[in-house]
Amino acid sequence: MTRERVLVAMSGGVDSSVAAAMLVEQGYDVVGATMKLFCHGTDVPDRPCCSLDSVNDARRVCEQLGIPHYVLNLESRFGHDVVDNFVDEYARGRTPIPCVRCNTFTKFRDFLQKANAIDAQWIATGHYARVVNGELHRGIDANKDQTYFLWGIDRDVLSRMLLPVGELDKPRTRARAHAMGLEVIAEKPESQEICFVPDGDYMRILESRLPANAPALQTGPIMTSTGAVIGQHAGFARYTVGQRRGVPGGFPHPMYVIAIKPETRAVVIGTREELLGSGLIAREINWLAEPPAVGARVSIRVRHRAPLAEAEIVRIDGDELEIALDEPVSAITPGQSVVLYDGERVLGGGFIESARQQRSSLPVLAA
Amino acid sequence: MATNPVYLDHAATTPVREEVFEAMKPFYGPRFGNPSSTHRWGREARAALDEARERVGRCLGARPDEICFTSGGTEADNFAILGAWRALKSKGRPAIVTTPIEHKAVLGAVHHATDEGAEERLLAMTTDGVVDADSFDKLVNDRVAVCSMMWVNNEIGTIQPVAKLAAKAKERGAIFHTDAVQAFGKVPIDARTQQFDLLTISGHKFGAPKGVGALFIRRGTNLEPLLHGGTQDRGRRPGTENVAAAVGLARAAELTLAECEAHCARIRELRDKLEAGITAKVPDAVIHGRGAERAPHITNVSVPGTDSESLLMALDLRGIACSGGSACQSGSVTPSHVLSAIGVRPDLASAAVRMSLGVLTTEESIDRVIEVFPALVAKARQLTTAE
Repeated sequence: MTRERVLVAMSGGVDSSVAAAMLVEQGYDVVGATMKLFCHGTDVPDRPCCSLDSVNDARRVCEQLGIPHYVLNLESRFGHDVVDNFVDEYARGRTPIPCVRCNTFTKFRDFLQKANAIDAQWIATGHYARVVNGELHRGIDANKDQTYFLWGIDRDVLSRMLLPVGELDKPRTRARAHAMGLEVIAEKPESQEICFVPDGDYMRILESRLPANAPALQTGPIMTSTGAVIGQHAGFARYTVGQRRGVPGGFPHPMYVIAIKPETRAVVIGTREELLGSGLIAREINWLAEPPAVGARVSIRVRHRAPLAEAEIVRIDGDELEIALDEPVSAITPGQSVVLYDGERVLGGGFIESARQQRSSLPVLAA
Repeated sequence: MATNPVYLDHAATTPVREEVFEAMKPFYGPRFGNPSSTHRWGREARAALDEARERVGRCLGARPDEICFTSGGTEADNFAILGAWRALKSKGRPAIVTTPIEHKAVLGAVHHATDEGAEERLLAMTTDGVVDADSFDKLVNDRVAVCSMMWVNNEIGTIQPVAKLAAKAKERGAIFHTDAVQAFGKVPIDARTQQFDLLTISGHKFGAPKGVGALFIRRGTNLEPLLHGGTQDRGRRPGTENVAAAVGLARAAELTLAECEAHCARIRELRDKLEAGITAKVPDAVIHGRGAERAPHITNVSVPGTDSESLLMALDLRGIACSGGSACQSGSVTPSHVLSAIGVRPDLASAAVRMSLGVLTTEESIDRVIEVFPALVAKARQLTTAE
């Protein structure tokens, strides 16, 4: 009997290491690979992901598991699909979510092509999510669930994905790592930051990649929703919706960024109430299940780790979607994702284009 | 039934020969002495070391005092370039001439010298991977301290006219170094008739262990040492000598030269068969440097519409070991600087697969590659068009 081959994306972290180990235990013909996605050169201290040390950790795990390990250089495609877009989005006054694009394009497209090249029927990652009957479900660990980042992948890919740690919670994953003797990585800290942003300082990336006179880096007005200019900022790329840092004080209530207007370089601030949105419009919609109908009730998430919110689909126009929320939600941010759920099941998602302040009702036919 | 694995990466390294291993053993056992010691144990080690130096010298047409044992090719290259440049820089010769297709050991040493004030001059190459003669005439002048040129290129196997260019460089007063790591045992090397001043060899490319090499240093060539310490090897290379490795290097060098003619004829025939077999099934496969004179053990092939990273993985998982461009620090495959330097299109450069033949190569293994490689290529291209 020939064992089925699986190509596992290994970051050198505990989740993907345990995923590989579990697949070895399950009898698959496991091949490990680490994607080299960017290069900071030699002057940036080590990063928790994608650095040389991470490659070395992944290789050590594979050596221990007795499986081959390769390093795949996807730098130029990742640079194009993920990093360039990250910069463009900030330049447009939006707050990008590069992990979504990395999954969509890098892990579940480019990496899949590598799997094809070696006749691997399966690809696996260390994501906390599950594939159940060809559909994507949230991981068992509600705190770690990563389906928020996975909505954009090609639906056909689901049938080739193995997500072993989606069946575990994080403490059990670490316990498995210890139990399988993977001490190299068992207690590695979580990587929370964006992997290609050194020290979480994304402005450095923007400053090195945008022209010095890019509007996103120029000073501009800070104003209230009524249009009163109350200060200046040093570039709207430094702001995201919901942010308090860098917002002038002296108001009776805490003030937040409620909008960024790139055409006037304005950063608009307002109260907590003004930050609330009652609906949203999203684009680049991708469905991972049969698309729901207008009027369908769904649960949505507008930010990683945000609580699920109950909502209703009010419009679907090609790849544009409008959703009305039952209860207002805070800081609906252009550039972030909205993911739609039916129970545990991911229906699909899209990139948030704008928030709706007023609750949209179902279209009234024949006025 | 599992087929035999195919090792087609002899340019990367070769297995230590049994005879070499046997020759080294006493020096890990009873003859463990330090050659600098004056007692009996020391004398025994010293005798073996002196003898090894003579034997390696004979293999290169050199006198024993012209052989400096090193930790390998990288150290020898660094010693040659930095040592010669540092010794000459104050004498009105600030420039170093080299080619863009050198091994990183040479390019890295030259870059380091530029940090110390050297002027780097890179020779132009033909698209076949040979030094452009006009460029050589223009760049190698009386401002040049060192001219360094790889005899046989490690990625594409092309041979440089070292004897001719060494003579020219000498006329212009420059020190001539050649990295002969891939050349030893493949092209005739004789310091008595060829005018190179410095020549690098590396043991593990021809059946000696990793970690030993030698630099031929022609009498009268002044090099500033890289290391400072004791007076071993005339102070050129301080540190207790690795007697066992030197003995192993000598044994491997002698065996290699004794078998050179028959071995080269055999692998040349297999290499030609391999290339013919691949191009018959993949007519648009590009064999780099094919128009130039090449060493018999290296072929480097690019198939349009494929990428070397995927091919190497797929070959490896079928038990066939080849290599791509130069591996970077993390182990990922990056497009070869050699292919870029000889004007190969980026898409072809990133498809390059180097196959290098040697002692482990059999007719059967070549037949297998001729069967598997075109099949993998066809599959890769099918996937590319499907995407």
